[in-house]
Amino acid sequence: MIGDFLSAIGDVLTSEAAYINAFTFAAFLAFGASGEWVAERSGTLNISLEGMFLAAAFAAAVGMDRFGNELAAVGCGVVAGVLVAAVQANMSHRLAANQFVVGLTLNILVLGLASFLASELDPVIRQVDSQRIPLLADIPLIGEALFDRTWMFYLVYLVIPACWWIVFRTRWGLELRSTGENPQSADVSGIDVNKRRREGIYVAGVTAGLGGAYLVLGAVGTFEDSIVGGRGFIALIAVIFGGWTLRGTVAGCVLFGTVLSFRLSLPNLGYDLSTDLLTALPFLVTILVMAIFAKRVRPPTALAQPFIRGLK
Amino acid sequence: MSAQEPATAASSAAVHLDGISKRYGSVQACADVDLMLQRGRIHGILGENGAGKSTLMKILIGLVLPDAGSIDIDGERVLIRDPLDAARHGIGMVHQHFSLVEPLRVWENVALGEAGALRPAEVRERIVEISDRYGLDVDPDAVVGDLPVGMRQRVEIIKCLRRDPSILVFDEPTSVLTPAESEQLFDTLRHAVVSEGRAVALVSHKLDEIIAATDEVTIMRQGRVVDHVATDQVDASGLAAAMVGRSVSLRSERVALGLVDADVRGTEVPDTEPDLAPEVLRLDGVTVRDRDGRTVLDRLDLGVRAGEIVGVAGVEGNGQRQLADVLSSLTGVDEGRVVVDGDEIPTGKAGAMAAGGVGVIPEDRHDSGVVLEMTVAENLWLVDPGRVSRRNVLDHRTMRRTTEELIDEFEISCSGPDSPLFSLSGGNQQRVVLARELSHEPTVLVAAQPTRGLDVGAIEYMTDRLRRTAESGVGVLLISSELEEILDLAHRIVVISDGRIIGEMDRADADLARIGSLMGGHAA
Amino acid sequence: MSVDDGTTTGPPTTRPHDGVAAEDLVPEMGTDGTLTEEPHHAPPGTSMADRLRSVGEVVGLYAVCIAIALGLSALLVQATGGSPSEVLSALLDGSIRGPGRIGATIGVAVPLLLVAIGTIVSNRAGLVNIGQEGQLYIGAAFGAYFGTKLGWSGPGVIVLLLVASVIGGALWAGIAGVLRYRRGVPEVLTTLLLVTIAAQLAGYGLKNQWLLLAPAEGRANRQQISQQLPDDTRLPRVTWFGNEFPISAFIAILLALLVAAVLARTVWGLRIRMLGHNPRTAQRAGVAASRYGGGALLISGAFAGLAGGMMLAGGDFGNYTLVPGFPSQIGWTGLLVALVSRQRASAAIAIALVFAGLRTGSGFLAATGVERRITDVVQGLLVLALLIPPALLFLRERRRAMNSGGDRT
Repeated sequence: MIGDFLSAIGDVLTSEAAYINAFTFAAFLAFGASGEWVAERSGTLNISLEGMFLAAAFAAAVGMDRFGNELAAVGCGVVAGVLVAAVQANMSHRLAANQFVVGLTLNILVLGLASFLASELDPVIRQVDSQRIPLLADIPLIGEALFDRTWMFYLVYLVIPACWWIVFRTRWGLELRSTGENPQSADVSGIDVNKRRREGIYVAGVTAGLGGAYLVLGAVGTFEDSIVGGRGFIALIAVIFGGWTLRGTVAGCVLFGTVLSFRLSLPNLGYDLSTDLLTALPFLVTILVMAIFAKRVRPPTALAQPFIRGLK
Repeated sequence: MSAQEPATAASSAAVHLDGISKRYGSVQACADVDLMLQRGRIHGILGENGAGKSTLMKILIGLVLPDAGSIDIDGERVLIRDPLDAARHGIGMVHQHFSLVEPLRVWENVALGEAGALRPAEVRERIVEISDRYGLDVDPDAVVGDLPVGMRQRVEIIKCLRRDPSILVFDEPTSVLTPAESEQLFDTLRHAVVSEGRAVALVSHKLDEIIAATDEVTIMRQGRVVDHVATDQVDASGLAAAMVGRSVSLRSERVALGLVDADVRGTEVPDTEPDLAPEVLRLDGVTVRDRDGRTVLDRLDLGVRAGEIVGVAGVEGNGQRQLADVLSSLTGVDEGRVVVDGDEIPTGKAGAMAAGGVGVIPEDRHDSGVVLEMTVAENLWLVDPGRVSRRNVLDHRTMRRTTEELIDEFEISCSGPDSPLFSLSGGNQQRVVLARELSHEPTVLVAAQPTRGLDVGAIEYMTDRLRRTAESGVGVLLISSELEEILDLAHRIVVISDGRIIGEMDRADADLARIGSLMGGHAA
Repeated sequence: MSVDDGTTTGPPTTRPHDGVAAEDLVPEMGTDGTLTEEPHHAPPGTSMADRLRSVGEVVGLYAVCIAIALGLSALLVQATGGSPSEVLSALLDGSIRGPGRIGATIGVAVPLLLVAIGTIVSNRAGLVNIGQEGQLYIGAAFGAYFGTKLGWSGPGVIVLLLVASVIGGALWAGIAGVLRYRRGVPEVLTTLLLVTIAAQLAGYGLKNQWLLLAPAEGRANRQQISQQLPDDTRLPRVTWFGNEFPISAFIAILLALLVAAVLARTVWGLRIRMLGHNPRTAQRAGVAASRYGGGALLISGAFAGLAGGMMLAGGDFGNYTLVPGFPSQIGWTGLLVALVSRQRASAAIAIALVFAGLRTGSGFLAATGVERRITDVVQGLLVLALLIPPALLFLRERRRAMNSGGDRT
């Protein structure tokens, strides 16, 4: 059993197709996770990431169907992600409603909306073409996985460093981090805590919007309401896995992306495993990984704590 | 720019607060307050807790909007809506708490709350420059959370000075400082004022500090200015009388005003002879590390006998909080043991200390003393609900009756046993805690900063209660950063520094200079 | 600046507070402004007329929010070519007006209510269990195993089935509890992830005959369903005025009242609430988070599991058979019921009925040509809208407290 498992891992690691699958998922996760990382550094555990992904995927599919233009479709996705973010941000950091309750409700609402509208609008799309980057794509094993992709995939190479830069190199980022660590001090220093936190969620909305658009247009090629299927939560957990560092978060995305890809890769490599168990595997791995790492990392001090002036 | 007008005192003042009023519901926090800060002078603002001085300062720095009144800066009318406005007008405040973000570096904290692009190199340079100029010696790349409390205040001061404010407000700056550090702070203040022509407001409730450090003083009482005098023309008792509104004779009032000195023999120390009594609390080699691995209590040994009050003196942030946490079952110890009345009590186990007879009046009652959303009755019985329940079902009649008795006995002002705790004032919430802990007949009572934030009457009540508790045979561990309070009540004084007990003396041998040097970490 | 006129010395005019500086009133945050020994004043506006007015305001606020949610839903229907009035009429027919439909609605409300009261227990303990859908599924699967695979039947097996469901649901929530209290993993995430795993596990069970799959002769080829519960292993159903529903309805209501009483009246309830409001005070007072919080999580899972068992044995779902996708969002919706009822078990009864009505009503939508998932949208919008009034009221309360002396936080 364990021997089988190890040989399967070995096969995956030497298969070019497996790398392609793994990085498809990893990129999708990384889009959402990098924005989620920004939001969490500001003190929001933003579980509506799942809803942002789904809304964006749906909007991008409709955009592609209506406009036939990839750029416009991605734009639609980003707008949808930001819309979900706007509801989450204003309800939890303006009205001070519980952020989990809002996020959960949003996820359910978006799922209902997407499946209702999908049956009404029925967007028909296909997977977009890839743009091969010469030389780099010729690297053995991982070249095609990383450099023979659609332009939407390449955006992740910009999004990750951009998130790092705004958080660590700008005044905005400094203020954002202070609201995640000690909102009372940030407030006394003259920072609008809840505004920064709302902005953090908007960043997550933008990147999840790109991720959702990439998922439906670049990776899957059709829309169905189960397209995200709980993977938004995996992206969220990649942030925790990464100990709230961006480097660790991206590593988490690659790890979880690889596990997610097993469902596609293993059958292709000739392994006959129960699809139910393969579907559950990434979630199991995620839980196990969290059980191992959760105690070793220090979350932002004020994570998931609302800020209301005068309340400690 | 405003036209040049004949120079009057008002127009030459750096700040002129005129007719400031602020009302919170039925309470007038500030009533028609006038205040003028002059360049080159340190202006003391003296008053009891609740006199309105903090509200006034918060209005000045934009954290509170006044109901009425105006603010002129350098003769020009200004509108201060938030701290950024205040900063633009050259007003900076050194906060006592809550302005630093611990996981960030010093330079990041200093840059926090400014506008414009972030230029780390520039900020670092400026920190070094200010450090050198004022002798504040701070490493710009240190993480604030790693710094001792006194050092953090330097960061606060640098953060404030970095904006080059023409008006500086210090809010109770010495509570986190040793006597030596306080003196150094006032030297710095004097330097900033005299050589650079800044105006300084020093908010304090301590008379000796006001007398030692200020040029002039405004005294507030119940939201009003009751007097404004040059400091060198008054003495402590005169100031005290003005501050309290009657002549100060009661000792606890003098304590509240910081007027006790060690040579006055306390008559208030409980009349018990604990030397012969059995030890009711013993801490042996207690070591606690925080989650980042820093040692916060370091092989701490401590004993309290029945009927004895042991005062733990020390500058805030030297392990007092963790000591109280250990005795509240909130923290487990990494090494060592805690013995109560002869029995070792497991640490960190929910309710073990309370069950073992350790009552606690916590430093922050909202943190671990009460449940604000629950009723007064529930708060009174939450530690030991067994007494008001039958077969695990709460007996509401007994609960009501016993609660009403406690409300009477401890003079808790509330609308009834079922009123939610958040509807009570802070002092009454504190009485609920006191009532609960004492009604459970503890063997040991831990009182952490029990009088903080209370006014004179409430302090008197609290100290009286503590004394009577000791007289009834309970061992009392009084943890306080107010030396006067400890000198007033304790039989024995231990000094804590950096998580260690570094000195111990009987009340009779207490010597302020020695305690002060011990508090600074120098074993003398 | 001139806040007032600067020169007037009359009584200060009060002006609306702009939301600054409540720390003025928090004793720990400053040495001043705590006004500690001021006698406590009753909050302004406690006369009868004022109270009526504030009740009116609250009701009005709720009405406006609900109206907006419904209005948006109607717009959506209109925009996609449907008729809002036809939709409404179909929903009413399907939930209450049609013959026997009230019974169907009650049948759906039962598991919703059970999930909701379990959720209320864990919420009160300060835990965020959002994995009821999975706990319910595992509960139903356990029930199906004991109800069909042991080869026994009879009323005793109903009890066995329900007990197994309770244990299954509790076990599933218990995993999250162990991870929370032994490994420090937030339960909000684990309960969520366990939903997917539960669905896959149950799906796996339904593919394997040694677990849940019915023997080949009892089902169509390739169908992945369990055996049907035998006739005497089903919950009895009662008929009132032409409306038929299982007796689990009475059990659910009794349990809701019981939970409300236990939370309010027992030492255990006191400790659970203490833990939820202030874990540090609770720890000092002897409430071990792992024991009480873990217990609350187990109970909430047990209720979700029981809901699954009741669904299986009650007949309103899956025709006494465990099928793929059996929970059909009842776990999620029950969670929403708990959220909207704001932790009051008695309010949950009414809200469970409303949400059940939306669901049974949606079955009648086919005739209007509007996709039935519109009711999910209506429900989501309603929940979002219902979150707004309490949040607004809370903020107003705080603002008032900040303006009115006393350091109430």
